[in-house]
Amino acid sequence: MKYLIFDAGPIISLTMNGLLPVLEKLKEGFDGEFVVTPAVRKEILDKPLKIQKFKLEAMQVQKLFDKGVLVSSTKIVPTSKLQKESSRILKLANNSLKSTKTHQRIKIIHDGEASCMAFSNLCSCDNLIVIDERGTRILIESPESMKNLLSKKLGTEVVEVGDSLHKFKKQRFIRSAELMYVAHKKGYMQETTKEFLDAVLYALKFKGTAISIKEIEEIKDMVVKK
Amino acid sequence: MKKGEPEVSIEKGGDLFNIARVFENAEIAIKEGDWMKLKDLSNQTLHSATVHQDPLNIMTAVLVYSLSKIFQRKHYREMEGWQEFNDKLIKNWEEAILALTMDDGEKAIAILGKIRQSLNEISGNLALYLKDIFRKAEINKAFKLYENGLTAESTADLFGVSLWDLSSYIGQSSISEAHVAQSLPEAERIKYAEDFFK
Repeated sequence: MKYLIFDAGPIISLTMNGLLPVLEKLKEGFDGEFVVTPAVRKEILDKPLKIQKFKLEAMQVQKLFDKGVLVSSTKIVPTSKLQKESSRILKLANNSLKSTKTHQRIKIIHDGEASCMAFSNLCSCDNLIVIDERGTRILIESPESMKNLLSKKLGTEVVEVGDSLHKFKKQRFIRSAELMYVAHKKGYMQETTKEFLDAVLYALKFKGTAISIKEIEEIKDMVVKK
Repeated sequence: MKKGEPEVSIEKGGDLFNIARVFENAEIAIKEGDWMKLKDLSNQTLHSATVHQDPLNIMTAVLVYSLSKIFQRKHYREMEGWQEFNDKLIKNWEEAILALTMDDGEKAIAILGKIRQSLNEISGNLALYLKDIFRKAEINKAFKLYENGLTAESTADLFGVSLWDLSSYIGQSSISEAHVAQSLPEAERIKYAEDFFK
């Protein structure tokens, strides 16, 4: 069994771009589950259902749960176990960097992202996390860059507390952009042209996926090469 | 702020004292209707809001920014309900300064809440416009905090805005273009995705 673990951002950007049917097609041909933790479910479903502006989108997401395209992590890992691991990750991540000026620890990640990482640690299966925003990815994939980014943005030196930044398990992350690349390659989109992929990738970028123009061009180049 | 006056910094101990200074400077700007000065003060509060991530710094950043937008639109001052709003604002502002100078952060937060609440009591269309400004200011400041390095979820939560609202703003951010944001070669990430769906 394989688990594709979704943070809130990718579901939001796919929904806002009308790409949920593509996600459904990806699930049909996938030997595993698309997993959503309770903290993420709150962001993609429970909260927007109460906001008129996003109620329609939330109802579309609800359909994916009804159809079993998205499944709750509680079916795989007990909530109490997940919460305990999430708390451990939150504590570690949010105490790993401090400002030298104020000596205050900088809170970097939040419940949703921590719960995805926690599930990844606990599920004992092949897994991949889909996360669109850059913070968590940078923290795990290039912790030094996170330190430099915060130092630059805050205009104050930010230092690591002990070696906490290096205590994280190296997890694998993709974004909704790479997911849509796979869908495009498999012919799951309404058009198979490179132009259509270009439109999809930029649409994702403008609806919250942290991806650079350079990276988009690199993805498009791969279509030609393969 | 007058020329030559040092910039207000909240990134130190004595945080309430510094926020009080922001409020004192903002009070002068409010009375003068000087929206540019309010905007400057709002920018100064943002870094401390990123570091501290506490309600008082965040409410201050949002409130001062909202006021800069409100005072920028001079025609609001001609609208029904303006005097009512302005009088309550100044009264509450002075109370907030007093609370801050007495090191009573909780009271200051409650007073800032009262300023926001006072929008519900204004008559006419002005209330709708002002509420819209406050809402947009929350999203705007949340976005700025995201640009300062926090995750989208953290910023949305701190400002009480929806991730759905924030997503369009994030799309406009140039931060993804920064070299540091590219923490893994794209080819490697694509390989993760392709291998997983084999």
